[in-house]
Amino acid sequence: MRKGKHLLRTSLIYAGLLLILLVFVGPILWFILLAVRPSETVFAVPPVLLFKPSPAAFQATFIDPGTNRHQLFNSLIVAGGAVLLNLPFSFPAAYALSRFRMRGRKNIMLWYLGLLMAPPVAFLIPYFVLMSRIGLSGTYLAMILIMQTITIPFSVWLMKSFIDEVPVELEEAARVDGAKWHRVIYRITLPLVRPGLIVTSMFAFVFSWNNAAFPLVLSNQKTATLPIGTLSYFATAGATWTFIGAAAVAAMLPPMIIFLVLDRYVVRGLTFGSIKG
Amino acid sequence: MSNSAIEHGPALALVASAARRRRRLFPYLLIAPSVVLLVAVTIFPLFFALKNSFFFWNLQMGPEPLGFIGFGNYQMALTSSVFMASLVNTLVLTVSGTVLEVLLGLAIALLLCHALPGMSVARALLIMPTTIAPIVVGFLFRYMYDPTGGLIPWLLTAAGVPIPKVGLLGSGATALPSILFADMWQWTPFCAIVLYAALLSVPQHVIEAARLDGASAWTMLRRIRLPLIRKTLSFVVMLRFMQLFNTFDLVLVLTRGGPGSSTRTLGYTLYQQGLVDFNIGLASAMTWIIVIMVNALIGLYVLFVFKDWE
Repeated sequence: MRKGKHLLRTSLIYAGLLLILLVFVGPILWFILLAVRPSETVFAVPPVLLFKPSPAAFQATFIDPGTNRHQLFNSLIVAGGAVLLNLPFSFPAAYALSRFRMRGRKNIMLWYLGLLMAPPVAFLIPYFVLMSRIGLSGTYLAMILIMQTITIPFSVWLMKSFIDEVPVELEEAARVDGAKWHRVIYRITLPLVRPGLIVTSMFAFVFSWNNAAFPLVLSNQKTATLPIGTLSYFATAGATWTFIGAAAVAAMLPPMIIFLVLDRYVVRGLTFGSIKG
Repeated sequence: MSNSAIEHGPALALVASAARRRRRLFPYLLIAPSVVLLVAVTIFPLFFALKNSFFFWNLQMGPEPLGFIGFGNYQMALTSSVFMASLVNTLVLTVSGTVLEVLLGLAIALLLCHALPGMSVARALLIMPTTIAPIVVGFLFRYMYDPTGGLIPWLLTAAGVPIPKVGLLGSGATALPSILFADMWQWTPFCAIVLYAALLSVPQHVIEAARLDGASAWTMLRRIRLPLIRKTLSFVVMLRFMQLFNTFDLVLVLTRGGPGSSTRTLGYTLYQQGLVDFNIGLASAMTWIIVIMVNALIGLYVLFVFKDWE
């Protein structure tokens, strides 16, 4: 009797779980199917689930003629550049906020957080006007610079949570032995938080990779990132849906893979280090 | 340290205090580069916008401002029906989205809490919608909402739900809820995963003790679990509230604010005024109205949520 009830409960939980996964993962699979569909089945009614998959859309978007290929590289340059530029700025700040109880510490942390909460379009308009004036509009640099409004505050918060975990005693011991500040940081702290720096950089990469508002305004035809390039398919009459599918799948795979790799740190990354998970 | 300085005379005291001052400045020196860069790319442009907000300036008419008009742009923004419609849409989207996503997320988190085999796989898969760029989620839902054969109209029709002839995104009655649904699809998993992590940290013996005392599942949730995850819960609510308030990408791809003004959000209207119509003066005034609202919201959070942090 008890066992029967238990079994029923377990199967109900699994049924609920299956339904949840169907709702939240199903559409992703449906989108991936779009990218390999023959175009006549794109809007078939009723929907066609079984067909011979074809790589034609990937071929057209990334190989020949490869309309979206250079946009893929642009996305890599912008997101990669944003992460690289951010490290020398955010690591020292995170270190200071973790190690020193100075005045204004909490306010500085909250200011960074406030920037993460701010509407990106608000900075975008004046930034765009200023960048056009100095002739930087349309350059990678303009995009990489404004991405710092996301990558620096995010990285400071997440890195700080990793530096907090390195026992301060190790640094103190080295300082008692007469080592200078920069040597202590370089020789002791940095190697110990390296995994944290890598995790932080990977999340920061995803956030800049996924940002569309900045490149939408600041890129030109040559520097457009992948989602912005994909957007232009909608401007042509009769959107080429299989191409949109292929380009979009290429845009969503890197973040997915990074999140799967970082599984253990996902909650921590998404909450900027404030919840350890 | 100060004692020995006194013993060794004023010269050493001077050296010591200089060293102490240097030590006190050191953390600020480490923070300074990031602050300078962020001020250069955010605060400086915002003050540039503040200046522009008092000028009539349309880039289509000329590269320079065309004249000082005082608070004219602010007046125009606050009396324009488009801006007010955007404000209302944004509030509707933000409040309903936050409530629905957090509640549904909490329900899913509680389901995940049953320690059964396969849960960790389910958790890893569940977060996938959150990893996708919001603009790509827009592509995905534009495909699924398509009135000529999209999956969602087909499913709804099969279930006997009437669909507007112009499509879900084409009708003023269903367009905003359709955007809300796409956002919920992306962010409910986020709420679920984060709240699940918090629920796991509730000590098992507390739950067991309450169960032995005969507490119902509902009492346990309300009296034990929720109070213990309060901090995480308020963090999730804050994040969702602010990100929904800034909704832009989904609107850009799915509806461009239409039909009419039915799906315009503040973010989208700002973009359209400033970067499609190039009405820099008016857009700058809107920027500052929004900046003041966002700062007020963040201020409320600092007062209530971060009060007892650290």
